Amino acid sequence: MSAGDATALDSTSPGTGPRAGQPDARVPDARVPVEAPTPPPSVAWTVAGLLLMVLLAALTRFLELNVPVWTEGTPLARIAKPVEFPVYAIALGLLGNAVLVATNLKDKVAAAFRTELFIKTGVVLLGASVNLSLIVTAAVPAIVQALVLISSVFLFTWWVGGKLGLDDKLRALLSSAVSICGVSAAISAAGAVQAKREQLAYAASLVIVFALPSIFVLPWLVDLLGLSPAVAGAWIGGNIDTTAAVAAAGTLAGEDALALATIVKSTQNALIGVVAIALTAYFAFKVERRPDAAAPGVGELWRRFPKFVLGFLAASVIGTLYLAQVGSDVGKPVITVANDLRTLFFILAFVSIGLELRVKALRAAGWRPVAVFGLATVFNLVVGLALASVLFAGFEL
Amino acid sequence: MTHISHDPDAAPEPASGSGAVPRPRRRLSEDWIATALGLILLTLVLTGVLADGLVP
Repeated sequence: MSAGDATALDSTSPGTGPRAGQPDARVPDARVPVEAPTPPPSVAWTVAGLLLMVLLAALTRFLELNVPVWTEGTPLARIAKPVEFPVYAIALGLLGNAVLVATNLKDKVAAAFRTELFIKTGVVLLGASVNLSLIVTAAVPAIVQALVLISSVFLFTWWVGGKLGLDDKLRALLSSAVSICGVSAAISAAGAVQAKREQLAYAASLVIVFALPSIFVLPWLVDLLGLSPAVAGAWIGGNIDTTAAVAAAGTLAGEDALALATIVKSTQNALIGVVAIALTAYFAFKVERRPDAAAPGVGELWRRFPKFVLGFLAASVIGTLYLAQVGSDVGKPVITVANDLRTLFFILAFVSIGLELRVKALRAAGWRPVAVFGLATVFNLVVGLALASVLFAGFEL
Repeated sequence: MTHISHDPDAAPEPASGSGAVPRPRRRLSEDWIATALGLILLTLVLTGVLADGLVP
């Protein structure tokens, strides 16, 4: 994945990070190592990485279409039939990851692994098949769920992190990541509290490591619990930390669940800015006691708002108007072509997830952050299910 | 993985000399690129330029 963002307040607020080689006065034991800057990626290697992704995407499609045919009439047919493209894509991505690491080529081609670009483009295309009326009716329960879930999970994670003795900044990163939307929330929080890069790398790795199995576990639990598509979608969107993993799990749970999961996830994503501002103010005025710190402005909300959500909304408006104009008989086959394009971008994103996974950062910080994240994830699952069951019971898709 | 982007689900760069997460370089936001790309593709589909069979 491409590297993360940070708030503009980092370099303008007082108490910005120390120069290379100098001690960080804010954190007594944090003598910062000097590192050479990373060289820019080579175009040839980036193209090679893209070709690899296209090859793995084609193989994903090939397996999805042919494995059920090959296994028909065998004991494997029961397992093979429900396995859909996210499973093949991630598995092939992980396989590719192992090969690239073994051949020492991963860093050379990594610039091609644009998970966010692919998934966001796919989400915009998904908007075309989501009726605008669904977004309008789902908005209120989605916002209520997001506000309650984010607050409760953030505060629980913060509390558990404190009990297990985590550093305040890492607590902020983990609390943001598990309660809002994964890596982007951790990045926003990292900028807000001026966390160390190592802490952000660690939090980001934890997010991905927990998100991957949730792609398969949550749809399985949805089946086991017999949840309706609406409740399933709301639960998946409110729980899984990354947009790409939400799309994967939603796909496995069904088209209706996918639509609602995307709406719920987008609503949560949109609240990143609010939390980033609150964290900035809390750390500046309370934790670091810098009364002269610049107060975060409302403009920060717009800067942090995930703009691709606007694309999703615009596509929904366009799709809804198009179908109203030409009628379902003519329009639906055309929207199906847009859905095929969306699937293509999702496949690329899921392949990229597998290719990008890095577990090295996880070894650095010990068991406590893993325990905090794990406990918070379970809390998120339970509270999320309760909220989804109440707010989306009887919701018509 | 060298550049900084304002991207959800993005892993950060390796540790830098300053230790703190730095300010992003000015570049066109990936969010806007994805939005533009998605809407352009949708337009091509709805106008029939990208038809069934052309999409792999």
